[in-house]
Amino acid sequence: MPREAEPSLNEKQFVLQALKEDVRLDGRDLDQYRPLELTFGDQHGVAEVTLGKTKVLVKTSAEVTVPYPDRPLDGIFTIATELSPMTAPSFEVNRPTETEVLLARLLEKTVRRSGALDTESLCLVAGQKVWSVRVDVHVLSHDGNLTDAACFAVVASLRHFRKPDTSMEGGVLTVYTPAEREPVPLSWLHSPFCISWSFYGDMGEIAVLDATWVEEQVRVGSCTISLNRHGEICQIAKLGGTPVEAVALLQCTSVALAKAKELSGLLDTKLAEDAKRRDKGGLLAELSAENDR
Amino acid sequence: MAKFGPKRQGPRSDIPAKLGRTHRQEHLNLTTTHNGHHRPPPRPPRRPYPPSLIPTHPKHPLRLGPGLRHVPPSSILPTVAGQLIVNPHKTSMWIESNGGRYTPSPSDLVIGRVLRSAADLYYVSLSPYTPPASLPHLAFESATKKTRPQLAPGALVYARVSLANRHMDPELECVSPSTGKADGLGPLTGGMVFDVSPGFARRLLLARSRDEGGVEVLELLGAEGVAFETAVGRNGRVWVGSESVKAVVVVGRALKETDEGRLGGEEQRRLVKRLVREMR
Repeated sequence: MPREAEPSLNEKQFVLQALKEDVRLDGRDLDQYRPLELTFGDQHGVAEVTLGKTKVLVKTSAEVTVPYPDRPLDGIFTIATELSPMTAPSFEVNRPTETEVLLARLLEKTVRRSGALDTESLCLVAGQKVWSVRVDVHVLSHDGNLTDAACFAVVASLRHFRKPDTSMEGGVLTVYTPAEREPVPLSWLHSPFCISWSFYGDMGEIAVLDATWVEEQVRVGSCTISLNRHGEICQIAKLGGTPVEAVALLQCTSVALAKAKELSGLLDTKLAEDAKRRDKGGLLAELSAENDR
Repeated sequence: MAKFGPKRQGPRSDIPAKLGRTHRQEHLNLTTTHNGHHRPPPRPPRRPYPPSLIPTHPKHPLRLGPGLRHVPPSSILPTVAGQLIVNPHKTSMWIESNGGRYTPSPSDLVIGRVLRSAADLYYVSLSPYTPPASLPHLAFESATKKTRPQLAPGALVYARVSLANRHMDPELECVSPSTGKADGLGPLTGGMVFDVSPGFARRLLLARSRDEGGVEVLELLGAEGVAFETAVGRNGRVWVGSESVKAVVVVGRALKETDEGRLGGEEQRRLVKRLVREMR
């Protein structure tokens, strides 16, 4: 397995020196994201997110399976995160690196454990048949801040996804093809977003949003805050690194809330645009068997 | 260099040592590209070039550069997508493509990162995930066992490739073997390196990079009063040094945006104006 590429001493020193003078290599402000782009595929549940040079492709799929015996009423929801050698030659299949484990864990905590998807709604026949929703995260290119890009892509993909409609009549479960009945969206409760801060300086006094790969290599600590646009915090992960002042962290969370609102707005716009694009004859509202909550 | 004749050409031919400098490109016809070379119309791949395109000379053999393959008896096929460049004065032709990673070839100037020091040489990385090149401890100007520069892992050196072939790891030197002078080569202190594409690095390294390479940003920035120095490595790395951090960032952004956006002359002028305004 080749070793991960590393920035040179000059690069490390320069990035730190520049951050001390409030200058970033790409001319951004310290709390500014790189241009974030979101595109949906032809299929429902395919989302591609580009954040500067970081690129993540996420695909959601669903199938009918048997539930876990200890949770007969809950559907199955998994997020599979795997960094392949396509991301960088130093990543190997079936040998998770620290980056990969942390990314998978953060996505798990942010999306799955915050109850963003109502897993009870995935139950078809208690104890016998449930939907298993699987989200596959593919990182196509890694230029820092994988967490934010991947989380945004996962949420976008899940909200874009439609599962086949089903009905239960006289003990017979029918799963309809898209031709028979319009597929239905998942029962989605709230949209959490990850906002990652990187800290620099001896005391971690310089906080930087959306660090690039080089900036990630020289940071002294990082903190990922997951929250939705209502300011409900799902998790805060500050894994080791230099201790940071509590007041500074509070400041970070308030900026993160503003960013989460921006991301949420962007996602809503993109979803609406996509829905409009698909709704060619204006018939989608009639075809849908879904009730408003 | 491969000779055009009955001898079979390997899949990877050597690069003509330096592009540009003495080159005057043949005016084949048609489009003028950003770097002043003239290119024939785009062709579907894997179709042999017509004989009219291939330069001939009564004495000199035809020399094929990168991206071309000779399939006996007489067809020449492109192996990569790019711009075909024909030099009738040297009876050579090659394809200038902007992709791929750097392949070392002798007398190239490169910027490497020291990986570690061994008994009598440094291992230097020219591009990530490739075997390291070796740089002998004594291949610096007036270096003896006691006075050689001590380079920590991660330090940057500006060096010349002294040996490169398919079967061995490349070797570097920071001193001219004939004169014993450094000629600007050696450790790079301070500053910042920026990654650009190998094709852009080649354009920057042309003797007249403004006219032939179509890169004016560095001259324009200098004219705007930004003080900086640069070292360009053919492996797609540009080192920029300056007293002021902002100047380095501005030069780096100008280079990267010119490279990634494939900016022409007018766009480069606009870019420089914008960057300088932002800096002040």
